[in-house]
Amino acid sequence: MMVVKTFELKTWRCAGRYLSLLAAVFGGLMASGCGGGSSTPQTIAPAGTSQNVQSIAVNGGPIANQIYADGAFTSVTICAPGTSNCQTIDGVLVDTGSFGLRIPSSLITLPLAQQTASNGSAVGECIQFGDGSYVWGPVATADVKMAGEVASAVPVHLLQDSFFTVPSDCSSSGGPEENDPQSLGANGILGIGYFGDDCGPACAGGTISPPTPFYYECSSAAGCVPAFVAEAQQVTNPVALFATDNNGVVIELPAVSGQEASVTGSMVFGIGTESNNGLGSASVYTVDPNTGNISTTFQGKTYTDLAFLDSGSNGNFFLDSTTTNIPGCTVNTDFYCPASPLNLSATNQGANGNSASINFSVGNADELFTNTTDAAFGNLAGPNSGMFDWGLPFFFGRNVFTAISGKTTPGGTAPYWAY
Amino acid sequence: MNHRHLMRRVSLALGFGIAVLALGSPSAAELGGDLNSVATDQARMKATVRSTQTSSYAVHELQAATGTVVREYVSSAGKVFAVAWHGPFLPNLRDLLGQYFAPYSQAVQAAKLHHPGRSPVLIQQSGLVVESGGHMRSFAGKAYVPQLLPEGTSAEEIR
Repeated sequence: MMVVKTFELKTWRCAGRYLSLLAAVFGGLMASGCGGGSSTPQTIAPAGTSQNVQSIAVNGGPIANQIYADGAFTSVTICAPGTSNCQTIDGVLVDTGSFGLRIPSSLITLPLAQQTASNGSAVGECIQFGDGSYVWGPVATADVKMAGEVASAVPVHLLQDSFFTVPSDCSSSGGPEENDPQSLGANGILGIGYFGDDCGPACAGGTISPPTPFYYECSSAAGCVPAFVAEAQQVTNPVALFATDNNGVVIELPAVSGQEASVTGSMVFGIGTESNNGLGSASVYTVDPNTGNISTTFQGKTYTDLAFLDSGSNGNFFLDSTTTNIPGCTVNTDFYCPASPLNLSATNQGANGNSASINFSVGNADELFTNTTDAAFGNLAGPNSGMFDWGLPFFFGRNVFTAISGKTTPGGTAPYWAY
Repeated sequence: MNHRHLMRRVSLALGFGIAVLALGSPSAAELGGDLNSVATDQARMKATVRSTQTSSYAVHELQAATGTVVREYVSSAGKVFAVAWHGPFLPNLRDLLGQYFAPYSQAVQAAKLHHPGRSPVLIQQSGLVVESGGHMRSFAGKAYVPQLLPEGTSAEEIR
């Protein structure tokens, strides 16, 4: 039986809208839309009833005795290509800030063929993340299934210490190696951002020589050396390879006022391809083609092409204490710790000129993290050198569309975000 | 091409305030190093260099073919007191931070022990500040040694 559940959310996020309406009445001013959730009640498509809806949960992650704050997790089924030899891996981080599926090889029970270069060497990959960490291991091929969608022969990244010695230009990001679930805080990362593949033309050759340290050819004779890999063989966002509903994804999470033990939502595949994934009243924010970013204006200053939406960041990370006058934390030094919660606003602007204000709040992370049971925080925030990283708190109470580069959508030319 | 020769060319460029050097093979300088290390970095990155001079320091901007840009800030005393970067790939921080890579690496690994998750890097030690973040195909950050900042230079100028 199909039960369509509609959440009518009039959270604090929208309170500002009503205040603005009052201001409009009494002061002749009109604010440009509700900063938080949608201006109409948010509808979260129910999982389990449509082929394009996958359940996601902000539940602290799969690792026992540790809470991954503000991470959205889902399960992914992978199969040996063309076979029904499959396994389902839960606790995979949903990340709109990266592209491609990465899974610790220790979790894989399937025989997955490793990708090889034309000279017979094994193809390996190093990914460095914005937090300084890195992951390393071979590229393999798998069929990837989520909800009722199937992507065949997807290049995926297996995280594996024993593959070959980690190249020094991989560990040069300085942070920890996160090849195992414990250090990753997850059983994998599902990169469903706006690019189809993780490196793109820069790793495929052309005018760049020698290859940048990203993909490697590895052999026992020569070790691992940077190598070019054609885009079709690069680790690929599985959504882009779905047979249907492959032009993007919608992340739908309910509002979180303050903090909650967990919340559940949906990841809907496709944009405007089914009755449940239309853009509706969402505004499209195209990204700058060079930087892949949008712009944010905060306290009168515009940070041009320095803002992005990233469900894989576990807070809203912006600017620094000197600029914002918000003190940093003493324990969790990568977060803000104001004396009392702050309600702030900023304005996002796409490369296409669309803009609207965002209301958001900043809590005291050291205090928030003393709670050992809650995993969903609406007000986690921290500093970020000169940039605005709208992390998972941004996604609470909004349906956020990520359109994949090169795909046709009702919102026009991808890549873009819409909400 | 040896470093001494390269250094002369950079110095010449500084003499004219702004110049663009398009060299055959690019690379990057290192924090706390001298002007020679700019040439070393340039060679490693296979970058082109554009140098500008302010009243208190020089900025050598290295542009790699991949699109990543590294800026190295050199005081009038000839010391690299800050580096900054942006672009589709993180630069090699082991090369770029030089002697400061080890303390940076220890600090960023220690910071991650407090809680799992993905947040930008912020290291604030008395002798080293590192800010680094971004996402796949778009990174930015900077590192500087507070004690080496020329008098009157604000950390906000480093970007």
